[in-house]
Amino acid sequence: MSEPTNEELITIATNFLLNAPPGEFMEVVTDVRALLPNESLLNESAGRTFREYNTEQMIFVDAPGGGHKVLISKYGEVSDGEYLDPKGNQVIQFDHIKQEVTGKRAIGSGETDQSQEALRAAFEKEAFDYCGQHYPHGTTTVYAKDGKIIVALSSARFNPHNFWNGRWRSVWTYNPSNGECVGHFRIVVHYYEDGNVQLNTDTTQKITVPSGAPDAVASAALKAIAKAEQTFQSSMEVNYNTMGETTYKALRRALPITKVKIDWNKIRTYRISGLGQKQ
Amino acid sequence: MTDQLDCALDLMRRLPPSQIEDNLSGLLDLVPDLTEPLLSAVDQPLKIAHDPVTKREYLLCDYNRDGDSYRSPWSNKYDPPLEDGALPSAELRKVEVEANEIFDIYREMYFEGGVSSVYCWDLDDGFAACILIKKTQDRSAKGPPMRGTWDSIHVVEVQDNKKSGHYKLTSTVMLNLQTDTTATGQVGLAGSLTRQDEKDFPVSETTPHIINIGRMVEDMESNLRRTLEVIYFGKTKDIANELRSSTAANVLQQRADLQKQIGSSIGNKQRS
Repeated sequence: MSEPTNEELITIATNFLLNAPPGEFMEVVTDVRALLPNESLLNESAGRTFREYNTEQMIFVDAPGGGHKVLISKYGEVSDGEYLDPKGNQVIQFDHIKQEVTGKRAIGSGETDQSQEALRAAFEKEAFDYCGQHYPHGTTTVYAKDGKIIVALSSARFNPHNFWNGRWRSVWTYNPSNGECVGHFRIVVHYYEDGNVQLNTDTTQKITVPSGAPDAVASAALKAIAKAEQTFQSSMEVNYNTMGETTYKALRRALPITKVKIDWNKIRTYRISGLGQKQ
Repeated sequence: MTDQLDCALDLMRRLPPSQIEDNLSGLLDLVPDLTEPLLSAVDQPLKIAHDPVTKREYLLCDYNRDGDSYRSPWSNKYDPPLEDGALPSAELRKVEVEANEIFDIYREMYFEGGVSSVYCWDLDDGFAACILIKKTQDRSAKGPPMRGTWDSIHVVEVQDNKKSGHYKLTSTVMLNLQTDTTATGQVGLAGSLTRQDEKDFPVSETTPHIINIGRMVEDMESNLRRTLEVIYFGKTKDIANELRSSTAANVLQQRADLQKQIGSSIGNKQRS
């Protein structure tokens, strides 16, 4: 068995980092560093890995100067460490390793799709409203990119004191040319008191929005998005019930069919009486 | 070294349980010096093997492994065959045979299917046993895909004090459920919980060690089943519902205001 190369070790370490549950990235970094034969192995790729993790998770920060929060996401990335804040009409500079905002600047030409600004702003108003109503711990950022409007939403709860963390992410992409709106939403929940339990969901939904003036389209779109996400949440309720009532019971009964616990004084006689002969 | 093992175990408590085998394999590449302690400390979903001699199935774990061979609890033979593979003493093998028969019945009564195996090994002041059970369920044929797997790993250390026994039990249950529907897409609930217990029981003709162990395992596994139910179908759902509120904030505010109104008008009535 050949020894893994440094490259292979870095790949393994990077994969571990990218799979850190929400809110536990630094704990995983600490663990991985301690396990590498040489801590400096990660130095070269650390910047890229931290950036990949932060943008995938769509973490949110306070917008400098504004009274709102903004997402650090791939959709708003204008360069490594620079992210669009459309609501604040600025570009935020972000240090992925320190995980903090380091500055801001004006939006440069070509960095956002100005032709869609009216539509984007209408979507942003509706999205902020929707987010405030249904995501008490969430943030939304609305982008105009490649002719499409993107509504990105990220909501997280961290409770390491009680050994749990969770994140919801949804990204809805509206195409004005055909009224199609595609949503991709994911939930990750991690519970780790005396164990490790994780919920992972991954759903894609498609809705159609009738065309019209920007305000009307944005309003109709967010209503449809709200309905789709609401339906998903109620369907999850049903799914949970089915898993708990049907699949779980079929795995292991709460009690044997006799409806009482095993009589351990008699269990050795069960063989003779024929009970439990099946294989 | 202990620091590294602690970090490795901490990592296994955070990485997605649905990828345990890949995670463990990656860990072993990172810290090959920790191979032995990691293989015995990290629980993995159990693999099933077929015993051609007795035509029965058995489960694989570190406790019935010697090199690259595994011992069947039914035939007591290694596969692939080993000249001098580790075997329990003749006395202990008798206990092991009875344990396998008894837990076969236990398995049938609680799981109505699946595979079980018990492996014993000698200790200075007694013996140890691991009781393994694996059950899978696939209801995909009856409707939308819904698959589940249950793995029980119970390891008990028995201190033989002749008229009584001191039992230390460490139990892990791994539970994995997956569904794929149009309404909710792919949903996966995966993970494990571990608990420990320590008890003393009298030992006699009617209550030999294996009966005491059976009682302990039954209580422990039933408790774990209840806890898993609460965490999987209660806790994770509650956390998910905190991420997104089904009820709109303004509706919640209206309700809160109404409650306050009712509360204060009742208060007023009581005072008047």
